[in-house]
Amino acid sequence: MSVSAFTERIRSLAQHHDTAASEDAYAALRRHGFSAFERLSIPTPRHEEWKYTNVTSIFDGTLVIGATDAAQRPATSGAEITRALGADVIVLHVQNGRLQQDEHSVIEGVDLYDLRAGATTDDLQFLASIAKVDDHPFVALNTAVHDSTVVIHLHRNVHLERPIHVVCSADTTTSTQLHAPRVLVVAESGSSALIVESHHTVGEHAAVCVPVTEVVVQAGAHLQHVKIVADEGQGKHVGYTAATVARDATYASHVACLAGAFTRNDLVVQLIEPSASAILNGVSVLHGSEMADNHTVVDHRAPHCRSEELYKGVYDDRSVGVFNGKIFVQPHAQKTEAYQSSHALLLSDRARMNAKPQLEIWADDVKCSHGATTGQLNEEAVFYMQARGIDRAAAKALMTYAFAAEVVERFPHEGLRSLLEQHIAQKLEVSR
Amino acid sequence: MTPILEITNLHASIDGTEILKGINLTIQPGEVHAVMGPNGSGKSTLASVLAGREEYTVTEGTVVFHGHDLLDMSPEDRAREGLFLAFQYPVEIPGVSTANFLKSAVNAQRAHRGLSPLEPAEFLALMKERMALVEMNPAFLQRSLNEGFSGGEKKRNEIFQMAMLEPTLAILDETDSGLDIDALRIVANGVNAQRTPHNGMIVITHYQRLLNYIVPDVVHVLWNGRIVRTGGKDLALTLEERGYDWIKTESSVEA
Repeated sequence: MSVSAFTERIRSLAQHHDTAASEDAYAALRRHGFSAFERLSIPTPRHEEWKYTNVTSIFDGTLVIGATDAAQRPATSGAEITRALGADVIVLHVQNGRLQQDEHSVIEGVDLYDLRAGATTDDLQFLASIAKVDDHPFVALNTAVHDSTVVIHLHRNVHLERPIHVVCSADTTTSTQLHAPRVLVVAESGSSALIVESHHTVGEHAAVCVPVTEVVVQAGAHLQHVKIVADEGQGKHVGYTAATVARDATYASHVACLAGAFTRNDLVVQLIEPSASAILNGVSVLHGSEMADNHTVVDHRAPHCRSEELYKGVYDDRSVGVFNGKIFVQPHAQKTEAYQSSHALLLSDRARMNAKPQLEIWADDVKCSHGATTGQLNEEAVFYMQARGIDRAAAKALMTYAFAAEVVERFPHEGLRSLLEQHIAQKLEVSR
Repeated sequence: MTPILEITNLHASIDGTEILKGINLTIQPGEVHAVMGPNGSGKSTLASVLAGREEYTVTEGTVVFHGHDLLDMSPEDRAREGLFLAFQYPVEIPGVSTANFLKSAVNAQRAHRGLSPLEPAEFLALMKERMALVEMNPAFLQRSLNEGFSGGEKKRNEIFQMAMLEPTLAILDETDSGLDIDALRIVANGVNAQRTPHNGMIVITHYQRLLNYIVPDVVHVLWNGRIVRTGGKDLALTLEERGYDWIKTESSVEA
């Protein structure tokens, strides 16, 4: 079994780690990760949360764990996003799981640094406080094998005008790679920023990326977080993002899956104090045998909070989409407003979509709604366009593009929007 | 003079049921033909077959459009060659703006004729000029096509699209349905402004009312898949007065 070979490698890594371990807090965290992973292991499709997405096939004993220091090529697809974010973008390169920057920099009230073993900063308190090591196999795995955390810490009332781009890439020229980027974002009260996280692979061998991003949005802060998985390479992605949102604060997540053989995103947002809000936008445009699975959780834990979620996907050929959207409204979370919709467009008879909205509402004075649709293009609309001289293929592409663009229009940053629109148009072969 | 359209013995069916049972109709340049008839007589089927809806099967007969076999062309080629169907129920297309839609349509037609795409500024000016024909607000250009438009706005939008595409043959399928008297007048004025000695129109309607505004040269009465009466514009008035029953009775006797 390939999974057992993989687990065995992790176990031996843990033993090696144990003997070399110091009493440092970071080392303790990693030990915690090892023991949790040992207990949770790689989930099989028998596990409810992994029913439609079989991860057992992508983990095997040949994966090389931990960054090598061989010459590493940057991904051109990453550079393209950086350019789209404009001249004043702040770029953080995370190569095979490690930030390519040794010094601790402070830019316009934002601390940017790599938190490693031996470090003693206040940010240690946040680490693994939001993404729970004991609850999720890939949070456990990431915690076990990652070797440092990229920290983005916005100080009180800092409004960062410059976008931050976290480029996570792996170079698999010499071997397969398991890489575990880890990012911690702390937005102190009254601060605001746009952070764009993107994932890439260069090289001929396979890469499996198990990133974890933790986001702390404190009172009155506004954080825009974009995640782009547009891997044209050999990368497979099993990512986890968790955020807590405090009083009067907003966390807006925007997820784009525009390419990639295997993409799983878990997104967990907790609204922990009154009047917190969350926005969750997601768009997937897939073809061939690509797969994207988006699991989202919005947990309303305080009264007067609001969440609005829109996920849309376009699936051609044999591609597969999964959407699992959970909304919890806890008993004391009165006056909650929670809205969720997910829509899928299937362009081929062989494409598949599994959609599962799940609402658990324990409070009685709430406004909640959800809607999930899966359908094909409206043939009457296609004919209408043909009757105006637009050929059938172009009519379909135009409508499909419009379907996906509705989500992209909600993304922040004009340059980024137009890049994503261009990508989608190219993929759908829309002439613009 | 070469006719714009020549329909000979056209038979068409849907799901095995014959709807058109031998239509003969010739349209010369500059002519407006009204096709009237009770519900279910085949009026909209005729429009659908001419526009190229796949659901209908032509079992017999020919349709020649500017000397070419119309039935052999795809719906988009028919449009590019100058045929225009104003839909009875215009379709809402979310996310595709009216402007973008028309740009695609007009440029597809221009490409078909070997012309380069219009410059954006030129195109915008043209759209604004043609919208004025049907008193449409330019704000509609940025809205999703027909989405949330009222019945009257949708019909005006159809005539605006017709003005952009300058068809040689326009088929107006119950363009008057759902219009109040003011909207009817606006739509009819927009249509009349597009009458030239070179193009032709088929105006399909249930009621004579529209024909007070768009005055036809020829009126046909369709019943049970055949044209059972052809006359001048007065025929429409007779129908308004006497209803369709006398036609049905007389046709049954003839049959």
